[in-house]
Amino acid sequence: MYSKILAAVNEHLNSEISARYAIYLAKACGAKLYICFIAETGISRSSFDKAENAMKRIFIKAEEMGIKTESITGTGEPVSEINKIVKHEGIDIVFTATRREDIEKRFYAGTIARTLSLRVPCSVALVRIVHIGKLYPKHILVPLKAKINNVKERAYFTAKMAEGFNSKVFVFHSPKPFTKFFQGEIHLTPFEWTKRLPKDILNFIEYLKKYGIAHEGKLAPGAIGKSITIEAASKRHDLIIMGASERNLLNSLLLGNPVEELLKNTPCNLIIFKPGHEDS
Amino acid sequence: MKIHSLTKEEVFQTLVTSENGLTEEEAKKRFTEFGPNEIEELGKTPLFIKFIKQFTHFLAILLWIGACLAILSESLHPGEGMLTLGLAITGVIFINAIFTFIQEYRAEKAVEKLKLLLPFHVKVVREGKVKEIPAREVVPGDLILLSEGDKVPADSRLIETKFLMVNNAPLTGESESVPLDTSPYTGDLIQSKNILFAGTTVVSGSGKGIVFATGMRTEFGRIAQLTGTVSSGLSPLQKEIIKITRVIAVLATATGAIFFLIGHFIGRTFWENFLFAIGIIVANVPEGLLPTVTLSLAMGSQRMAKRKALIKTLTSVETLGAVSVICTDKTGTLTQNKMSVKRVISLDESKKIENQPSIFTVALLCNNTKEIEGDLKGDPTEIALYKAAIDSIGHLDSERVKEFPFDFDRKRMSTINNLYGKNFILTKGAPESILSVCSHFLINSEITSLDTSIRERVSLFNHSLMDEGLRVLAFAFKEIKSSEEIIVAEDAEKDMVFLGLIGLEDPPRPEVPEAIKKCREAGIRIIMITGDGSRTALAIANEIGLVKGEPVIIEGNEFLKMSDDELRDILSKEEVIFSRMTPKYKLRVVNILKEEGERVAVTGDGVNDAPALKRADIGIAMGISGTDVAKEAADMILLDDNFATIVNAIEEGRTVYENIRKFISYIFSSNIPEIVPYLAYVLFRIPLPLTIMQILAVDLGTDMLPALALGAEKPSSGIMKTPPRSPKERLLTFPLLIRAYLFLGPIEATAGLFGFFYVLNLYGWQWGQMLESSNIIYLQATTACLTAIIVTQVANVFACRSFKESIFSLGIFSNRLIFIGLTFEILLQFFIVYHPLGNKIFSTYPISLNIWLILLPFAFLLFFAEEMRKLIYRKVLK
Repeated sequence: MYSKILAAVNEHLNSEISARYAIYLAKACGAKLYICFIAETGISRSSFDKAENAMKRIFIKAEEMGIKTESITGTGEPVSEINKIVKHEGIDIVFTATRREDIEKRFYAGTIARTLSLRVPCSVALVRIVHIGKLYPKHILVPLKAKINNVKERAYFTAKMAEGFNSKVFVFHSPKPFTKFFQGEIHLTPFEWTKRLPKDILNFIEYLKKYGIAHEGKLAPGAIGKSITIEAASKRHDLIIMGASERNLLNSLLLGNPVEELLKNTPCNLIIFKPGHEDS
Repeated sequence: MKIHSLTKEEVFQTLVTSENGLTEEEAKKRFTEFGPNEIEELGKTPLFIKFIKQFTHFLAILLWIGACLAILSESLHPGEGMLTLGLAITGVIFINAIFTFIQEYRAEKAVEKLKLLLPFHVKVVREGKVKEIPAREVVPGDLILLSEGDKVPADSRLIETKFLMVNNAPLTGESESVPLDTSPYTGDLIQSKNILFAGTTVVSGSGKGIVFATGMRTEFGRIAQLTGTVSSGLSPLQKEIIKITRVIAVLATATGAIFFLIGHFIGRTFWENFLFAIGIIVANVPEGLLPTVTLSLAMGSQRMAKRKALIKTLTSVETLGAVSVICTDKTGTLTQNKMSVKRVISLDESKKIENQPSIFTVALLCNNTKEIEGDLKGDPTEIALYKAAIDSIGHLDSERVKEFPFDFDRKRMSTINNLYGKNFILTKGAPESILSVCSHFLINSEITSLDTSIRERVSLFNHSLMDEGLRVLAFAFKEIKSSEEIIVAEDAEKDMVFLGLIGLEDPPRPEVPEAIKKCREAGIRIIMITGDGSRTALAIANEIGLVKGEPVIIEGNEFLKMSDDELRDILSKEEVIFSRMTPKYKLRVVNILKEEGERVAVTGDGVNDAPALKRADIGIAMGISGTDVAKEAADMILLDDNFATIVNAIEEGRTVYENIRKFISYIFSSNIPEIVPYLAYVLFRIPLPLTIMQILAVDLGTDMLPALALGAEKPSSGIMKTPPRSPKERLLTFPLLIRAYLFLGPIEATAGLFGFFYVLNLYGWQWGQMLESSNIIYLQATTACLTAIIVTQVANVFACRSFKESIFSLGIFSNRLIFIGLTFEILLQFFIVYHPLGNKIFSTYPISLNIWLILLPFAFLLFFAEEMRKLIYRKVLK
């Protein structure tokens, strides 16, 4: 599914670390890796050098791992330049890092990462780096909602990331608690919850099995963002792979936004994945 | 590959830093990217939000609507007293909100206490220079310098050490210091010796480390994050109260609406129907229930405090009664944590060994116990060895040259001592660990080769001691040349001479076997979680009666390999013991038990116990040995660290639940005489027999103290002989409602209407004649109705003291608080009936003694009818 992977790098450390994830995905997929740095107008010399050095390190690492790699350096407005590269090279997926100051903005609106994820005509892995010690994830937590689109691609991305790092996948679903008006919240055991497992999640698990990925599943009813954070912290997961939010502004304001919540409070590195390939 | 498995060079490369540290510019960038190195309180709801929520639940919204409509009516029909009613209903909302808030209030200070374990300043190398900066400014990639006494500010990978030892107690719960070095390690991060963890302390030596995680992303931050975000959810009582209020709200609204329509079809005016609808809602709502529940829980917590269980959240009082599983530590909780030497096994039978260390020499000198002003300070095991050695061989003159402290990998400690003019390595530790470094043993004062048969013999001795429930340590020594300099423990601890074994006993607390028996009878499972070995744990469990059959014993390393489903299966077994466990695993055990619907109590004392304490239905911290963090995270603090106190508290919790049902029955009985007058008013075109303010006088006034007195009833005899109540069991059961609404309530309603019509007839009232609300005859009639309810409620207090036992077998005077409550009730009624202020507020008028007397037979009727019902229940139905 992925034959060309692009990692956007800049002068910030988090972009270099997120590019390392791209290397391992490229390795697992047998894909060509593109490393690009788009220098914005007015960038300082030292920032430029840092980005160049980061690109070099990523390049060397990828070459050492036997991955076909290409570096692209350009100038201009990053989103439109990356967009051009994606279209010109036929990129399948872009890795880009979010920054802490992006997260501080509500719905990280107007940020480069957000704009990029909306505008590029391919899949996007938006990476939030919070822990530079967890370099090679052994436990990947994959929270899934009941109805998911592009199941096949999501499963493929997860499976290949797990394959790249030889990790175990923990599929996690946090359904709304089961309630009745007069009886309040009804406690269901994990076994009872399993019987209510949504079809899309079952399909996702089937794909993981097909790819031969070691996995476990868990259901924990409750507030989604909080449940994921607790699960990740209590089980010491190294990486979370989560779908991009599909809630609109009004729903996010009224009901909250688990993705945004997680971007702020994640205890480990996080990939917000936006699939770009329709299920066939 | 993980950070602890990399070489020094790889660490620099991976974290993009160098031996000169970061540049200030890069540090600034990373600070912007990774944020300050501090512990945050995530997901903490401000107190005022918690308070506001008490005004927005279903019942409160219903009452708000009622109050708003009443106040609106005042503007449409001034002078009908609707403003007073609106304000009174608003008052009810506030009273309920305040009491529920008090019930649920809990000071969340666990994370604050965690913050105190981090340093304020730290030395870093930036741009090749050593600088002291605020600890919050440390960023990933910083090179930090630490020396003795320093607190570690962030998780760091060591690149240089000089005899560095740290105390990891906040993370591991183990008080022993751990020596650290820089060699790459392939195991688990938490066990890695090249990692410094935030919140730990450097005990000795110094070191340099590269920071790889800061703030909430450190292991310490992980504890803070879990402590701040996990919760046990609503308590069983809170869930039940939500259900009750929903039932009441729907019942009240439906009744109000139905009779509003009936009134409309039989030709009542809108105004009359409106007044009726509000009245029926107020009459249906037991306004005094929440304040009474709160006060009753507060009284319960006072009683628990007297039994050495300090309750931090009022709802926990009742939750204790619902506990179905207790996960308990062993040392200090089931046992006394007072170690003493019970058995000494030495292969050498010679009494005196010249110029050679004996087993007691090692016990005395390879020991960090300190004598301070006649008191022995140190680890309980070492103190016990020290005492036994002093008793056996007295003090010895010896200089300690060096120490290789205990650590969990080696499972032993060693010292180099100068004794008898020679240098000796003295070692003590776990038998299997000591045997692995011994090549000889001492027999008949001679050092002989240690062959397989002797090893097997030692192993058998070891097992027999553990089967007696003893903690077993082995001892060994080796003579070395005075000039020989030994740097690392591994060089010292080889080719040693085995001396023998000492079995130490930590006796069980004397009250524990009885408490465990009580738990068995009460259907409560006990799961022991201990750091001790399986054999020792099993022996103690047998001794205290914790296991009767063949328990499932899971060791820490097996536990780690298990999937959740496998662990779920294990935890469903009747008798389970977890051995060689560390506190951090408790959260997983608690989570799985809770997922299976168990109501879990868990004990803990360390910093890393905090998440499990927060997650459990009842987190129990140790008052004597517990850390501040554990105490803040817990719902209950055991002032004496004693398991038996938990069982006492559970008994108290079950009693509280039983008593809440008693006063609910009492309070709900008076709803019927409050509702029936309204129905009669609509259906039979009579003056309203009871005003809304008079209903509030009963619900929030006269009923309160007698109901509270019911909350102080003693436990019934079989309370700890029945299984924990099922989560499906309702507080408001159908039989309870039938008894209150269709048996006791109707008697009270009859009394009320009798009193009302008796007064009207006395003054020649004719059927259909409507009276002004200020008419004295009408005021006296409603006063008689109110008085009838009070008189019958006096009898009802006695009736509600037990659901099946006769008051005569309980003893009329066995609960003195009942009489205090009744005195208050009667005095308040006197005030309402005879004081001008009471008359004004409640629209009453003084009545004669004669009227009180004619109402008394109804009280006797209720009392004896209930006694008869109980008799039938006991003799016929059961």
